[in-house]
Amino acid sequence: MSSSMEFSQAGSFASAPASTSSEAHASAPNSQQAMWAIEFEKVSKSFGAHRVLVDLDLQVKPGEKVALIGPSGSGKTTVLRLAMTLEKPTGGDIRVFGESIVFDAAGKPLSISQEARIRRRCGMVFQQFNLFPHLTVLQNLILAPTTVLRQSREQAEKSALEYLRMVGLESKVHAYPAQLSGGQQQRIAIARALILKPEILLLDEITSALDPELAGEVLDVVRNIAHEAKVSLLIVTHEMRFAREISDRIAVFDAGRIIEQGPPDKIFSNPESERTRAFLQRVLNH
Amino acid sequence: MKAILEYWPVLAQGLWVTVWVALCIIPGAALGALILGALRLSETTAIRMTAMLVIEFLRAPSALVLLFWVFYALPLLPGMPRLSPLAAAILVLALDGAAYGAEIVRAGIEAVHRGQTDACHALGLSKLQSFRRVVLPQALSQIVPGFGSLARSMVKWTAIVSFIGVQDVLYVGNYIRGQTYNTVAVYCLLAGLYWILTVLCGAAFRAIEQVLPLNRALRAARVSTEAAPQMGATAGAAQ
Amino acid sequence: MTWDWSFVVKILPQLMDGVWYTILVTIASSAIALIGGLLLAILESVSTTLGRSFVRFWLELFRGVPTLVLLYFAFYVLPEAGVTLPAIPIGIVVLGVVYAAYCSEVYRGSLITIPSELRDACVALHLSSFITWQRVLVPLMIKRSIPALLNYVLGMFRETAVLFAIGVPVLMGEANVVGYENFRYLEPFTVAGVIYIGMNLPFLYLLSRFKDKHV
Ligand SMILES: Nc1ncnc2c1ncn2[C@@H]1O[C@H](COP(=O)(O)OP(=O)(O)OP(=O)(O)O)[C@@H](O)[C@H]1O
Ligand SMILES: [Mg+2]
Repeated sequence: MSSSMEFSQAGSFASAPASTSSEAHASAPNSQQAMWAIEFEKVSKSFGAHRVLVDLDLQVKPGEKVALIGPSGSGKTTVLRLAMTLEKPTGGDIRVFGESIVFDAAGKPLSISQEARIRRRCGMVFQQFNLFPHLTVLQNLILAPTTVLRQSREQAEKSALEYLRMVGLESKVHAYPAQLSGGQQQRIAIARALILKPEILLLDEITSALDPELAGEVLDVVRNIAHEAKVSLLIVTHEMRFAREISDRIAVFDAGRIIEQGPPDKIFSNPESERTRAFLQRVLNH
Repeated sequence: MKAILEYWPVLAQGLWVTVWVALCIIPGAALGALILGALRLSETTAIRMTAMLVIEFLRAPSALVLLFWVFYALPLLPGMPRLSPLAAAILVLALDGAAYGAEIVRAGIEAVHRGQTDACHALGLSKLQSFRRVVLPQALSQIVPGFGSLARSMVKWTAIVSFIGVQDVLYVGNYIRGQTYNTVAVYCLLAGLYWILTVLCGAAFRAIEQVLPLNRALRAARVSTEAAPQMGATAGAAQ
Repeated sequence: MTWDWSFVVKILPQLMDGVWYTILVTIASSAIALIGGLLLAILESVSTTLGRSFVRFWLELFRGVPTLVLLYFAFYVLPEAGVTLPAIPIGIVVLGVVYAAYCSEVYRGSLITIPSELRDACVALHLSSFITWQRVLVPLMIKRSIPALLNYVLGMFRETAVLFAIGVPVLMGEANVVGYENFRYLEPFTVAGVIYIGMNLPFLYLLSRFKDKHV
């Protein structure tokens, strides 16, 4: 598992190569297909009578960067929350490296420990940072490594410092979240997610709560991740330029469905769907 | 249990005394709280500080200590009256309730938006007018729930009056226990009676909440949309 | 009757005994109330209907029944059930349990103000639910509850006076005994009252500091 792998140099996080994972899960039921990092199959999600996602199909290759765009309320956040098991789908199946995070082999709901094991390959960064306000930056970073990965304190602190350096905030080790700007908090939140070396990183509008000047520093960090790491990224964003620049593929959501997906250049310069065109026109000329 | 029920006339009498004491001290405390709470926010520093000292002074010893002092020690001072047990009990509990209530009143008044008094000023209302007609009606929607839980506590406070010989329901209960030695039943019965009294008291205050002007306005506005839950942080007035 | 200073000096040592017992009872009951209340709040939050209705019942019971009745109940019924305990532990436990109910309300109030996104973050970091409680939720609950809890500790200190009803030698009880032995009530009750008022000051100081910090 990637989580136990020794990490050698800052920037080479999430270095678990896809091949390792494929071998480890060679016996998984769907292994004859290409091994997707994450795969949504006919996933639907309703809150009461409100159908938020309808028969969604989405596959992401290991190391692939996919941007999810679309109007507000179209279900983008819900996709990420499903992947993180913060919500349960009402229909369909979600697989992480071939293993379902919804059902076990017998088709029954996963036990808590099984679910915890499989979803450990995912990490998530939230719009509102969600740092723990009562812990310092360092304590925020080492909480999961020391408790979930059972690393020693020294080891956890050492890697925490490396990730802090990576996001450019090693001077803030002992600050409390409330003492940091929004952009700094979000960079800490990214480091906190990366320190667990996820193979799939879910980013939900991580710059929406920030002033434009601060958004830039956060996006720089994400660019670094995208270029250097083999991690798969699922990025929900309203920053169209950023989505275009960073992603390998863009999926356009509308009313709980993906209406179109493809390479960024194609989506932006020559979209097939009329609704995509309308959406892009709206956001690009606001 | 049957043996106890034979004592129902004294029990009813004791219950009546408890209810009577509660009915005296709760309105008394409400009135005192309103006055003390308003004084607590006076613009004159001397009045404000005096009100604060009175409040803290009344709250600092528990009602029981105050009660014993008023009943046993006060009459020994020259020129001081000897109060009947009932009068002493009502006086002390009402004062204590007023002191706790004053903080609820103060918080309620402070929670009314500053702009409201500014608007009153702009309209030319006098201080007293704006307090009585604008600030207080709005503050009540926060004061009444807080005072409701204080009143529930005050019903329980009445239990201490038996110490100075007021024959309330606890006094009668102890007497019946002495006669029948049926300890468990007596105290379960007492617990049940007090519990019912506090529940009734709480219900009464919820009924009052319904008719408050601001709550009526909010309800009217809420007919279509659901409002966010209102946080009612009540002060630690649980004696 | 006139005030007699020499009598005051004579009874002061015995009243001081009462002060120590008052402090002891306050500390011990606070420990029960603060820890018990936290456990009750956690139990209510994690449990299903059964545990939740148990906690609700518990709260209702202690909010609706005077401490004095509960004290008498414990004091007279326990020996009948074959458990003979001295008055002091009975008083401590009854007071602690009653206030545990109040404290659990405080903790519950701060628990629901912790944004649900913070729990989401715990899931995203793969923290087990034990760790989530231990390292994130409980510290935040406690931190947000401190002023309100301090208020209840103060209330508990004030209410220790009723323990004299079952013979615990708290300050109130000592004053009563001294007065009874000497047929002089003026000085014991007055001095006790002044001491009680004085003992409030540290609490009021702490509370005002918290208020300053939050404004
Ligand atoms: N817990 C919930 N309960 C009920 N409805 C929900 C819940 N979570 C999301 N929804 C609804 O699901 C729909 C899709 O929400 P989602 O957050 O996925 O949209 P989104 O595409 O991320 O929008 P935005 O760009 O505004 O963040 C919305 O209409 C929302 O109201
Ligand atoms: Mg969203």
